[in-house]
Amino acid sequence: MSAPQDFQDDRDELAGEYVLGTLSAAQRRDVQARLTHDAALREAVARWEDRLLPLTNLSEPVEPSRSLWPRILRTLDASQAAARPAAPRAAGLWNSLNFWRSLAAGGLAAVLVLGSSLALRPAATPGAPQYVVVLVAPQSQAPGWVVQAQAGQSAVQLVPIAATEVPPDRALEFWTKADGWAGPVSLGLIKPGEPVVIPLDKLPPLEPNQLFELTLEPKTGSPIGKPTGPIQFIGRAVKML
Amino acid sequence: MPNRQTQDFDYDAAIKACAAGHRPALETLYRQEGPRLLGVAQRLLRDRAWAEDIVHDAFVKIWNQAGSFDAARGSGRGWLYSITRNLALNALRDTARETDVDDDTAAALDARHAIDAWQDTRDAFDWRASAGQIGPCLEQLEPVRRNCVLHAYVEGLSHSEIAQRLGAPLGTVKAWIKRSLQALKECLA
Repeated sequence: MSAPQDFQDDRDELAGEYVLGTLSAAQRRDVQARLTHDAALREAVARWEDRLLPLTNLSEPVEPSRSLWPRILRTLDASQAAARPAAPRAAGLWNSLNFWRSLAAGGLAAVLVLGSSLALRPAATPGAPQYVVVLVAPQSQAPGWVVQAQAGQSAVQLVPIAATEVPPDRALEFWTKADGWAGPVSLGLIKPGEPVVIPLDKLPPLEPNQLFELTLEPKTGSPIGKPTGPIQFIGRAVKML
Repeated sequence: MPNRQTQDFDYDAAIKACAAGHRPALETLYRQEGPRLLGVAQRLLRDRAWAEDIVHDAFVKIWNQAGSFDAARGSGRGWLYSITRNLALNALRDTARETDVDDDTAAALDARHAIDAWQDTRDAFDWRASAGQIGPCLEQLEPVRRNCVLHAYVEGLSHSEIAQRLGAPLGTVKAWIKRSLQALKECLA
């Protein structure tokens, strides 16, 4: 038997034992590390997984407890919240090619909306910084809304730049959180597709990097005063030059 | 209980929808396959709460890695089982305190033991009704070797646990499993 054949057999044997489940913890870790860069091993494992899959039928189904699905949802929401761009991640988003690529599609609309709304806004307080936030969908990073605000004024303007679909039994709730705040503060329910001015007079002045997001909540808003549903759009305040 | 026959459900489409951030698609997968995945995990781990932990982790992983699912590399349904089984087996092996006997020593010690002693072992699994296309190939294995394969895949037993269960030497069990895998592979080719 030639050496390459041996090598192939060894790899296939390893893949078979891995899928069968007989490898030790250390051996499993070795295989899993190799799988990231060894395409042939990956293929061998995939073939064994396919071969042995029918044997999963030998285990009787077990009805999960009622709490399991809500628990999965809570973990997804929590990890999504943790993945909300904290400062370094925000930089990553702004430097991300995909982000800018996706933004290019909505970019023209954003510029048009911004241009017209900037022209319409009351005279700016001289010297007060202008902020802009482009709210993008977390997965596709397609822009959906633009928030603009002037630090000297106690309101933000929220302008839709793309259609937002909201299920009939749900509502969009608008939130903001600056670095250092304990949690997001609700800015109220938002009607999809309609521009709105939201007073911020009870909040501290706008800060650079302040987070804004729209989440999907029950019809009457989050029952607990904190976001409970999935994030539809999210972005951070950037100071305009 | 699982709500639809597996052949009527488009697993690949549901996984792709998860990759696009569509939460209801994940719930559909959970309703469709959750009970079967939990059954597989519980059989491996022999602990209900632990198995639910694994299924929880599996669905979080399915959601997070849906974008890396490649239909060209295998079926969507198989992908769900691979994720779940790997999490369960990693957990099982990581908590095991057994130390393996040196392979060569074991093999040398066992060389004298003839396989004939276990020829009459009866089936430990009722596999005929549910094994699908691998069934005829399992049929070709001697019952004791078939039991080794099923103890490992279905119950997550290690080589030495199988050896204990069957009262067979470790090296013999390792050789049986190795040859059984080879035979299954040739039979399914």
